[in-house]
Formats: sequence, C-alpha cells, structure tokens
Amino acid sequence: MGVNVEDPDFIRELMARERRGHAHSTPRLVIALALLIAYLVPFYYLFVTVFKSTDEYLSSGVLDLPRSVTPLLDNIVQAWTRAGMGQAAFNSLSYGLLGSAFAVALASAAAYGLTRLRLRSANSWFMVIFAGTLFPFQMYLVPLFFGYQRVSLMNSWLGMLLIYTAICIPFPLLVLRNYFGGIGREIDEAARIEGASEWRVFVSMILPNAKGPLLALFLLQFTFIWNDLLFSSILASSPEVRSIMTALQSLQGTYASTGPNVVVTASLISSIPTVVLFVLLRKYFMSGLQLAHN
Amino acid sequence: MNSPAIPQLAPSILVEARRRERSAAVRSGRVALLFMAPALLMVSLFLLAPVVFNIVLSFTRWQRFSGIDEFAGFTNYERLFGVPYFSEAVLNTGMWVVGALVLPLAFGLGLAMLLRGLPFEETFKSLFFLPRVLAPTAVGTLWYYVYAPHGVINSISSAVTGQPIDYGWLFEAGTITPAIIFTFVWQTLGINMVLLLLGLAAVPRDPIEAARVDGASNWQIFRHIIWPLLLPTVLVVTILNVVAGFTAFDLLWVMATGYPGQRTLSLAVYMYYETFAKSSWAYGAAIAVVLSTMVVLVSWALTTIQSRVEERIR
Repeated sequence: MGVNVEDPDFIRELMARERRGHAHSTPRLVIALALLIAYLVPFYYLFVTVFKSTDEYLSSGVLDLPRSVTPLLDNIVQAWTRAGMGQAAFNSLSYGLLGSAFAVALASAAAYGLTRLRLRSANSWFMVIFAGTLFPFQMYLVPLFFGYQRVSLMNSWLGMLLIYTAICIPFPLLVLRNYFGGIGREIDEAARIEGASEWRVFVSMILPNAKGPLLALFLLQFTFIWNDLLFSSILASSPEVRSIMTALQSLQGTYASTGPNVVVTASLISSIPTVVLFVLLRKYFMSGLQLAHN
Repeated sequence: MNSPAIPQLAPSILVEARRRERSAAVRSGRVALLFMAPALLMVSLFLLAPVVFNIVLSFTRWQRFSGIDEFAGFTNYERLFGVPYFSEAVLNTGMWVVGALVLPLAFGLGLAMLLRGLPFEETFKSLFFLPRVLAPTAVGTLWYYVYAPHGVINSISSAVTGQPIDYGWLFEAGTITPAIIFTFVWQTLGINMVLLLLGLAAVPRDPIEAARVDGASNWQIFRHIIWPLLLPTVLVVTILNVVAGFTAFDLLWVMATGYPGQRTLSLAVYMYYETFAKSSWAYGAAIAVVLSTMVVLVSWALTTIQSRVEERIR
C-alpha cells in the first residue's frame, strides 16, 4: 500500500486518529475508576468498622460512618489482649526476619556452588533441592507433625524457624541460579588469580552484584512466612510460639464471643507490616514478581 | 596461516598440567558441594524426607503414636474412593481449579488492557494489587463479615432492591464455594494483572502501529499480534493459578468455620480435617498423596505446553 507522507489528507487523518486515541482514554478512565471503587468496598468496610464499638456495629448499618474515632483504641486493646497479638506479632516477626534471611543466605551459597564452581552434574543437584517445592504443602504435614513430636520440636520457636527456613530455600535458589549464571565470569576469575578464596569471591564479588534480587527475594519470603497459617496451626498452637495468623484465626473461630469490630481490627493489625513493606519497597516487590516470572 | 612457532613442551609437563587441572576441578567440585551443603541438608531433612515418609505412611494402618504398624497395601486409597466426602471434595476442588484457571486470568487480562497507558496507571496498579499483600487469613476474616447475613453484600443488595436481605452466603451449600472463589479472585486479580502487564510491556510496538496504519481493528490487533506474543506469560500465570486453586486452604479454613460441610470444600481442607481433627494419620497421608499427584501431573502438563509454545515463538 503506497502512502504519501506529504499528503495533507493523510496527515490530517493521522492526527485525527491520534486525538481519538486520547479521547478514548476518558471513558476508559471512568470505567477504571468505577471498577476501583467497587474493588475497594471491603477496605472501606474495614476502615469504618475499626472505629465502631460492638454495640454500634450491631445497631448501625455496616457501611455507615462511625460516630466517633475513640472506639478504635478499645478495639486494638481487645484484639491485642484476647488473641495475645503482641507475643504472636513478635513471634512472626522473628520467624519472618530470621527465616527469610537464613533461607536467602543458604540459597545464595548453594546458587554460587551451582553456577560459579566446577560442579559435576550441577543440574541434578539443583533438581534435588528444587524437588522440595514440587509438592503441595499437605505432603509435609503428617510427617512433620510426627517428626517434630519425636525430636521435641513441637510447639517450639526453633522448630518453626527451621521449617520456615527450609521451605523458603528452593524458590530463591531457582531465581539466584539464573541470576548468578548471568554475571560475567571475568570478575571472579580475576579475583581467583589474585589468590582470593572462594568464600571471598562469593561474599565480596558475587553478592554485592545481586543486591536487588536478594532484597526482593527476602521481601517475598518474609511476606510468605508472615502470612502463613498452615504450618503454624499444626506445629505451634501454644500461645508462646504461635504465629500472628494463628492468633487471628483463633479470634475468628465459631465459638469466640468477640465482636466483628474487634476481629476486623485484629485483621488490620496483622496486615500492617506487609502493607507498610509493600508501600515503602513497592519497586522491589514488583521486581520480585518479575524474578518469579523469568 | 602460519602461526608463530609454539615452543614444544615436554610430555611430562603436559601430563603434570593435566593432572593439576583435574585436581583443581575435583577441589572446585568439593568446594561447590560445601557451599551447597547447608541448603541440601535443610531441604533433605525438612522437605524431602517428609515426602518419602508420607508416601510410605499412606500404605500403612498407622493410627496412633505407636509407630508404623503394618503395611495395608492400598486400603487407605480404596477407602478414599468409597467415601462421599472425598468425591464431594474432589468435585469442589475441580470447581476451584477451573475458577482459579479462568477467572483471575480473564479479569486480570481485561484489567491490564484497560489500565495500559491510562493516566495514573501506576496508582491504579498499586491499588488493585493491594489485596495481594494482605494475608489470606486476614482477607478471609474480612470477607467472612462482608458475606455475613448482616454484612456488606446483603446490605448493598437491600439498598438496591429495597427489600431486607439476610442471606447466609457462607452457610448455604449452593453459594459457599462460588463466594469463596470470588474472594480468591478479588485477592489474586492484582498479581495476574501485574504479571500480564509485564508481558504486555515486552510486546513490540512497531507491528501494532503498522497494523493500525493498515486499518486493523483493536480486536484484530489483540487476536493476531498481542495474544500470540503474550501466550507464554499467560501460561506462566496459569500454572501459578492452577496450583493455588488445587491447594486453596487458608481462605476456606477461615471463611467456612461456620459451615457444617467444611471438610468437603476442597481436598486440602479434607486432608487437614481427617488428619488433625479425626487423627486418621495414614488416611490423611493418602489424601495428601492423591492431591500431590494431581498437582504434579497438571503442572507438568502445563509446563510442557509452555515450553512448546516458547519454542514455537523462537
């Protein structure tokens, strides 16, 4: 098809199309806004509910605005004391920070061994570790339950930290194996000729080159551990070691006499750390998704 | 071409060099194993050994804390297929898989196409992504009250229809699974959209512009240019969704606390219930094996399709 780019009709037509393209974005914007508002209704419900007392919640419409903001404090205090959320938050924070850090550290060491050293059948070794995530978690529950009872790890802080660390290793390994494999060989070859040990090459050459992915992986695994309900509800049910999600779930149980306003407040409290992390480090979260995607 | 004369090395030096090279390789391999040892140890002890133990256990009569009693062959599995709870759980799991396969992807793709290039795209994206950052337990708790007889859904429906409605969405067999799947979609829509937008960003603009100049419609452009290039991303997202559908637990456990038939809502819940509420350990292990077999087979099939598609594109 011959097109004369100096033909004024053609240029006018192009410009009109361009304008139409921009005009099109207004109805799209309206649709997107309408969808977003509908999408955020549960959040609106959350925010009006945390400011209501149980009496007010039961007597007013669920979407009505609260009469005052003061019941929030009482809701927090009730959620905090009834579910032991302080202890639970501390537990989950320690599992999340340490478990995620250990897992990413062990995974990066393993990825270094797999990609930067001369390991025979590196692929098979990788598959051995990666096989750990092929199965749904239900496959681990019964054996862990009995194993933990046998070695007295049941209801222990250490036991929780160990399973979280183990379960968070395979995915970072998958990502870091790809990432380390893409870093140029020259830098570590040079360092080795200078007489650096493998440990030194790993710590001061490879790791600093992977700060972004390491942080993204740490965030993803922290979020996973913080959000976990399954392992915690089976392996750590006692109040001293249980996780924040187990505490939240115990509030919500059928026979709990706690008002919806308190339970909803507890669900808000339990979400604060991951939401704050997301807002502050959105860039790394998104790049973490990109990592998962490659 | 004549290369400059290479000085002849004595054979003994060559042998020595080769020996050194070999021993360096062996040493390097040993160091590599040392680097891998901690990860290997953790994964073997806490993930791989349990899988093996679980499979063995599923063929025994193990009930209490007495250790492995005796082998029972396929008794546990035979029992599974005769129990109505199990077939109901399989049926509901099927519903979950289909729902998780189709809905987040379809809505995520629609949303991605809608938001792409829109003003405030980043803000929209972040807000639609937000539910994903919350724990399924927190989301389940919140939606439990959204669906409650005096909850958000009913109060909005009442306002629209002008009649009082107090339907128990999470207490009726007909609505509980669709209702929880809807919550699942609400939570996972954002990540589907973000992943698809990443895929869309990789689609080159030139062929689209060229097609537009040639007068192609939006649908034609999507169908013939964007979709084929997006297919690999779609398949990755599908794998994530399907596995999530198979193993859905947290939402069901939290949102169906008041539902008498909770155990039949998915295989993951049925497994948990039989194992930890009824102490049928070996039976629970067998359910886990059945569930795992399904997950592994389906994700293997999808991965195979995905690598075929990527080969065809390259």
